[in-house]
Amino acid sequence: MESTLTQAEPFCIVKNLQVLFHGRNVLQGIDLTLSGNGIVVVLGSSGSGKTTFLRSLNRLNECYPGYSSSGRVNLKLSGTMSDINHSDLPLTELRRQVGMVFQTPNVLPTSIAQNISLPLKLVTGLGKSEREARLVEVLQEVHLWDEVKNRLKDNAFRLSGGQQQRLCMARVLALKPQVLLLDEPTASLDFKTSHKIEDLLIELQEHYQIIAVSHSLRQARKIADQILIMKEGRIEHLLKKEKFEDPKILQKLLEEIF
Amino acid sequence: MSRLLDICVYSWSWLATIKIFLVIGCLLWFLLSRGLPTLSKELFFGDAPVLQAIFGQVRVWDALWPACVGTLLLVLLAGLIAVPLGIASGIYLACYASSPFKRILSMSVELLAGTPSIVMGLFGFALILFLRDTFLPEANTSLLLASLCLALLILPYLIFTTQVALESLADEYQLIGPSLGLTQVQTVFHILLPAAGRSILGGVVLAIGRAAEDTAVIMLTGVIANAGLPHGLFGKFEALPFRIYYLAAEYQSPAELNSAYGTALVLLALTGLLYSGAFALHKTLEWQWNQH
Repeated sequence: MESTLTQAEPFCIVKNLQVLFHGRNVLQGIDLTLSGNGIVVVLGSSGSGKTTFLRSLNRLNECYPGYSSSGRVNLKLSGTMSDINHSDLPLTELRRQVGMVFQTPNVLPTSIAQNISLPLKLVTGLGKSEREARLVEVLQEVHLWDEVKNRLKDNAFRLSGGQQQRLCMARVLALKPQVLLLDEPTASLDFKTSHKIEDLLIELQEHYQIIAVSHSLRQARKIADQILIMKEGRIEHLLKKEKFEDPKILQKLLEEIF
Repeated sequence: MSRLLDICVYSWSWLATIKIFLVIGCLLWFLLSRGLPTLSKELFFGDAPVLQAIFGQVRVWDALWPACVGTLLLVLLAGLIAVPLGIASGIYLACYASSPFKRILSMSVELLAGTPSIVMGLFGFALILFLRDTFLPEANTSLLLASLCLALLILPYLIFTTQVALESLADEYQLIGPSLGLTQVQTVFHILLPAAGRSILGGVVLAIGRAAEDTAVIMLTGVIANAGLPHGLFGKFEALPFRIYYLAAEYQSPAELNSAYGTALVLLALTGLLYSGAFALHKTLEWQWNQH
């Protein structure tokens, strides 16, 4: 089915997207147009293709063996809609502009500062003083600065899980992306820390287009402006906020699906 | 019942660990008790004056110094050839090779790892014979040839450890580079290799040890008993393991046998020195990675 919300300019158009791994269909012909502001949360049972869908937006599926795909994905980057598979858009540039944060925090085994500074240097080639300025900026943006400003040289593994996840987010934000893809960003965190990250995401949605995979209904209702429900590699529903404000309707829909 | 099994497994693994310390302790004690009394200026330099001997102004006879230098150069040269090649092959296998080709390559590396060192020596020897018969009539066994053959011998250790170290990094870790927009080369050199550094260092240490102790390869490719200090890449040389071998095989007096133990002790110390060199190099690289 075609899912559309057309009161604003779209930022993501997917046409007949099929993704296969070792010949097995994981995404089966997705047609989707996303528009409007706010966070899009993708819900679905495990194996429904949520993560694969997310990864097809920054072409990260290509890092896995046995991958093949067909169809088109257009994302709004720097104000214009661009075909993400077009040769005009280098893969590295696409992935810089479409940042991704993973389920479990994956910090580099080096200092907190270097976790942000090293990718920044490699991707943008910025000088040392500019990198340091941006380091402060993004650590403040994710509310980590006060906690780490006196221990920037410490190993990032010494941070708690929630702090590590925020560091990973800061690492992505330092590269000035336009779209943020979050793959169950609170899955490995406790309840209280999850809340902190959720509040942060609500703040960040002002500046970035966020698409997040989640497994929690509570989380989806808290942060989402639109909910995308997936089942067996297809998009089943695209719900606007007023639809899922009533928990009973959403609960009913989900029960149909799971 | 399962409690009993627990106790059995626990005590068995405990005993096995103790055994390692016991074996190493016995070996060291034996070597030290026989070798330590023989360590002297004479063992290293014979009758020659020390300073002049060190700089090669005076020829040293029947002493260790030329063999120490020979072994040191041999290991360094073999390392210089094998370490970059081995690590690069490991990177290729872990990060670039496509699966059917990878299987063939991995099998070749296993085959190379299973080749006895005497075969490597024979290969080097045959190579010289071939060169003499064809376009290099004056080719001869030498330090360079021995280093090349040793490099072949230690190559598989380096390839395996690099490949395994890179492949055993978690999936999410492997994705850091690509997901941030780094190129494949940047990912390998700035994200993956530093994280795998410690394991790769393990492979380098193993390789150094293997190169330092091997006798079979060098026996056929250029080592001789009384060469003096090595005369360049194309000259003959002496080496500590070969010296231990012939002292132990052809000693004329108990004192000479004891000097073989002393030599073994020196070889052990020299290998330890090379290990610390590899360790220091790794620490420097790690430190550099942590600077921003």
